[in-house]
Amino acid sequence: MSNLTTQSWRLPRRTFLRGLGTAMALPMLDAMLPARALAGATAGAKSPTRMAFLFVPNGVHMQQWTPTATGADYDLPYILKSLAPYKRDLTILTGLTNDKGRDNNDGPGHHARSAGSFLTGVQPLKSEGSEIRAGISVDQFAAKAIGRETRFASLEIGAEEGRAAGKCDSGYSCAYSNNISWRDESTPMAKETNPRQVFERLFGNDVPAQVSESQARRQRYQKSILDFVLEDAKQLSAKVSGHDQQKIDEYLTAVREIESRVQQAEQQHKMNRGFLADYDQPAGIPDSYEEHIRLLSDMMVLAFQGDVTRISTFMLANEGSNRPYPFVGVREGHHSLSHHGGNKEKLAQISEINKFHIQQFAYLLKKLKGIPEGDGTLLDHCMIVYGAGISDGNAHNNENLPVILAGKGGGTIRPGRHIRYHFETPMSNLMVSMLDRMNVPAQRFADSTGRLKWLEG
Amino acid sequence: MTHWQFLLRLNFIGLLTVLSVTGAEPKAGVSASAPQPPAPAATASEDAPFKSQLKPFLAKYCLDCHGNRKQKADINFESFKDSTRLIESRKHWEAVREKLQGREMPPEDKPQPSQEERDRVVHFIETQLAQFDCTGEVNPGQVTLRRLNRSEYNNTIRDLVGLDLNLAADFPSDEVGYGFDNIGDVLSLPPILMEKYLNAAEQVASRAIVTEYPPKTPSRRIPGEELTPKGDEAIRTMPGQGLGLYREGEGWTTHQFSQAGKYQLRVRAYGEQAGLELPRMAVRMDDQEVKVYTVKSTNTKPEVFELPIEVEAGTHRVAVAYLNNYSATDHPDPKLRGDRNLFVKWIEVTGPLDVPPPPLPASHTRIMTCDPSHAHTRDCAVHALRGFASRAWRRPATDQEVERLAQFVDLAQKEKASFLEGIQVAIQAVLASPKFLFRWELDPERDQPAGQRELNDDELASRLSYFLWSSMPDERLFDLARQGALKKEGVLQSEVQRMLQDPKAEAMVKNFAGQWLQIRNLASATPDPGLFPEFNDELRQAMARETELFFQSILKENRSVLDFIDADFTFVNGKLAEFYGIPDVQGDAFQRVALDKKSGRGGILTQASILTITSNPTRTSPVLRGKWILEQILGTPPPPPPPNVPLLEETPEAAASASLRERLELHRSKPECATCHSKMDPLGFAFENFNAIGQWRDLDGKFRIDPAGILPTGESFKGPNDLKSILKSRDTFVRSLAEKVLTFALGRGLEYYDKCVVDDLCAGLARDEYRITTLITGVVRSAAFLKKNVGHGTQTASLKAGSGQAQGTLGKNEKK
Repeated sequence: MSNLTTQSWRLPRRTFLRGLGTAMALPMLDAMLPARALAGATAGAKSPTRMAFLFVPNGVHMQQWTPTATGADYDLPYILKSLAPYKRDLTILTGLTNDKGRDNNDGPGHHARSAGSFLTGVQPLKSEGSEIRAGISVDQFAAKAIGRETRFASLEIGAEEGRAAGKCDSGYSCAYSNNISWRDESTPMAKETNPRQVFERLFGNDVPAQVSESQARRQRYQKSILDFVLEDAKQLSAKVSGHDQQKIDEYLTAVREIESRVQQAEQQHKMNRGFLADYDQPAGIPDSYEEHIRLLSDMMVLAFQGDVTRISTFMLANEGSNRPYPFVGVREGHHSLSHHGGNKEKLAQISEINKFHIQQFAYLLKKLKGIPEGDGTLLDHCMIVYGAGISDGNAHNNENLPVILAGKGGGTIRPGRHIRYHFETPMSNLMVSMLDRMNVPAQRFADSTGRLKWLEG
Repeated sequence: MTHWQFLLRLNFIGLLTVLSVTGAEPKAGVSASAPQPPAPAATASEDAPFKSQLKPFLAKYCLDCHGNRKQKADINFESFKDSTRLIESRKHWEAVREKLQGREMPPEDKPQPSQEERDRVVHFIETQLAQFDCTGEVNPGQVTLRRLNRSEYNNTIRDLVGLDLNLAADFPSDEVGYGFDNIGDVLSLPPILMEKYLNAAEQVASRAIVTEYPPKTPSRRIPGEELTPKGDEAIRTMPGQGLGLYREGEGWTTHQFSQAGKYQLRVRAYGEQAGLELPRMAVRMDDQEVKVYTVKSTNTKPEVFELPIEVEAGTHRVAVAYLNNYSATDHPDPKLRGDRNLFVKWIEVTGPLDVPPPPLPASHTRIMTCDPSHAHTRDCAVHALRGFASRAWRRPATDQEVERLAQFVDLAQKEKASFLEGIQVAIQAVLASPKFLFRWELDPERDQPAGQRELNDDELASRLSYFLWSSMPDERLFDLARQGALKKEGVLQSEVQRMLQDPKAEAMVKNFAGQWLQIRNLASATPDPGLFPEFNDELRQAMARETELFFQSILKENRSVLDFIDADFTFVNGKLAEFYGIPDVQGDAFQRVALDKKSGRGGILTQASILTITSNPTRTSPVLRGKWILEQILGTPPPPPPPNVPLLEETPEAAASASLRERLELHRSKPECATCHSKMDPLGFAFENFNAIGQWRDLDGKFRIDPAGILPTGESFKGPNDLKSILKSRDTFVRSLAEKVLTFALGRGLEYYDKCVVDDLCAGLARDEYRITTLITGVVRSAAFLKKNVGHGTQTASLKAGSGQAQGTLGKNEKK
């Protein structure tokens, strides 16, 4: 084997000790990945459908977002220009509403609420902490049903850390603004922000093809450790009630998930990880925000390509984010700007931010489209939703959300169109339709009123 | 029934009969299903204050939509007849107050109360909510099981094994609630974190315990192709094959000899033979020939030459030289025809030899408290693991627990692995267990009658150490707990004093002050580089350090908490002194400097850190600064702005047309903005002489800055010094600080009944010149810190709206 394939993604920082010193969560690594990870190589085998959600905060400048024409001959307004090469891969969905992001008598806090309800379709409970409650998000709903088919049930990433101190939004805990993925109504799925960590988690460190005696022993140890802590947790669980019970339940769920991953790993074959050879292991969080987003996008692409997971969420920034975008000439904070009051200059600045985010989306699409899979490309087997929980940052309104769906969902979606839905069509209808395509049929999801029409064409 | 139990019963009644929230589904397995007392007949009579102050207002503006006839948003005020009952539905009434204050209610298209009517009712509700009878037993509340947050995890590992590994840097960030990241209710445990915990446990075990002892002598092998050729270009490296010496010359390298002494040099080489001699190879150290070999071996079987050497410590040059080249490929005598060459496969340096092995690291000896090589190996495992688990779990491990852990050693031995490998596995189990990851205050019985209990000494020791150190208890605290001495007269006070002087109290600075003052946010502050070229990471760090050192000095010197608002000293290094214009300070080290009153600086409000995090990237924001003071200093956060209110005009034209202050005042002239902005803006105006990164200025653009103002309470001030005097004289600051310290100490949001503890803390402070240690000791000695509620039905959760709908809405009257 040439040096390139083994060295290029070796982990530079960590000092792994022999025998026991390697990462616990990845007991068998190569061996854990399913055979179909030979992406595109197994002719005839049906490629799995993947689903991802990209989230941007603070709404967008809708006038420069929404195409004027509907149907296949739709136009790409200023913000969406960079999507031109992928016009035929996109379905622009106009008219969707996230009702649970609205006030509904809960008063201010639209930012937190719009993020907390974006994928859950549930009105988040207004609380600074005593009771964090939203609902299970669509990605986790799918992950619960089909997550066991891949090594990771889902992948949560984001380009902004949670806020370090202070409050996030009008009586809502920061948990709502910092997460869009919710494992259950009270457990947000923390996101990984460091590309290096994501890579390590997904692909682990270099392990020889043959599992050595000490590694096999280590796996047996790991199983007994999991047994041990599960027993501890069960004993404790029997002694507590109320909120404490909820906390220990989270622990139990987490350990069980890891346990089943370890068990499943043993039944799976070795993956051809050749596709990783061209990829440099990322060093960490780069200084450039753009580079950061792109590295994380790469991680999502690699994860889908290797079929390490089929479900992912990606917050390009946290809701209410007030970062400036000096590299595109925006020196004010995003959130302050989003309260534009109709001011043209501010709106122009917001467009620049929106355009920048869309360019990053275009980068992701380029990557996905560049990977052959089955009878088409990886993108063909994806459903990538890009959107915001608020449409206009000034009005904080939750109807007419900016939403784009990319990919063909394994041939079940006919993209290349701009579709305008009836006013107030629930976003959750899209979720139901996506769940269908993930082979997780649901009669309803949250506040859905049916399936989203016209996706098939 | 105790007083507080009685109150809690009342709460149930209140919720059920007066303001019950419909559709409240108790979450499966979460909310305690307390026996619900039967709803009594509504016998409460309307009391005088209710009749005169609240009822007319409700009747005039609210009952049309929220009465017996209609219950919009499931709210009915009509069955409410008793002002003393407001407190029982505190959350709901706070929401009512918020909506009135924020002008969200009544809706725009309905008759509007005058500002005065509004203010009066708001004041009435506030007054009622502030009334709570503190006689009788204090309700200690219920803290939800807390998992260790990132800093607690790091510090605990550091103090447990003595290795500062900072493993939690790889964990996802902890969620923040009530302004802090150590709130039990908010700290969740998603699967990704569990993965990280398991990884971290393995890292700790493998680093703490040395399984190979004595360690192998260090050895370094340098492949021939990595040697540097010297002497002739015909000496060259050959990938995969080594160094080829086709002429006289050498290949060399350098090696770092860690200490003086004996080493073993090994060279693997072979020759190509020609002519009358064999190839000769010299080994050179620092250009001195140490030995010359004759190389008989050929490439089919290279030979290894071993050479003991003795060297001084340091970097030495090591070289292999070829001494007798021969090349006569055209020689007429076939015996003499040929080409002689030397090839070096590798050089190896092993050593130092004959030195005693380094002592076992402290992390190892601290856990391995016995020698497993002696006869009773298993007893040793039990002994070591009992000690380790008892410290890790912060209470004595039981025999049964230790036995289960010792089985990991049995398992390892069954696997034919070493005893110590078994210990490593057991350590992983200890650290991955919920007993380590959560801070337990387990009640002896789950189904016991509602009541309260004192924490035991182990639990108390942990509360103390996580409060002041964000870490586990030390040996002394464990000892005191074991002796049952923690609660003895004076012990808690003296322990607090001791702990605050310990270097570990830096955690209080990083975690409490870092979040209270929000200086953690400085790391993500983004002042515009075009406008503020002097702002860089060095300055950023200096700003944060100033505030940390300032907080630390108040803590360590037991100063008055009022010094936070105003003080005549601060800490600067050369960089920050230059930035502030303070003369005669150079270098990176921070020093304490006296501040001139005329500088306007003194106290946290005028520190560059706070002034920067409360600014926008391109300009100051008096609104943000005012809001920050209301929230962090006075504990009276303003309600959020109603939606669809345009923020301040910020275009360059606007900035040229009027000063920021004038524009804000214009903004404030709108009635819907005035209520809150008249509270926020003047506070911020006082600090307008400090720009968006906290540097002094006289002008904002072309406009002279006017730092004077009038507070809604009528007090006027000329500038920051005056305002600081006003803030210092208010008890709201002291109260707010006490609440924040208590929140941080308990790891839960405060409830209405905590008012009693906070009252005591404030009174204690006032009696003792507001000294900070008095506050901290007061917290530690409070019922909320020393006790906890037990049994069913006592959870404060029962006070809250339980539906998926928002908490803070008034439920409609129960219909029968």
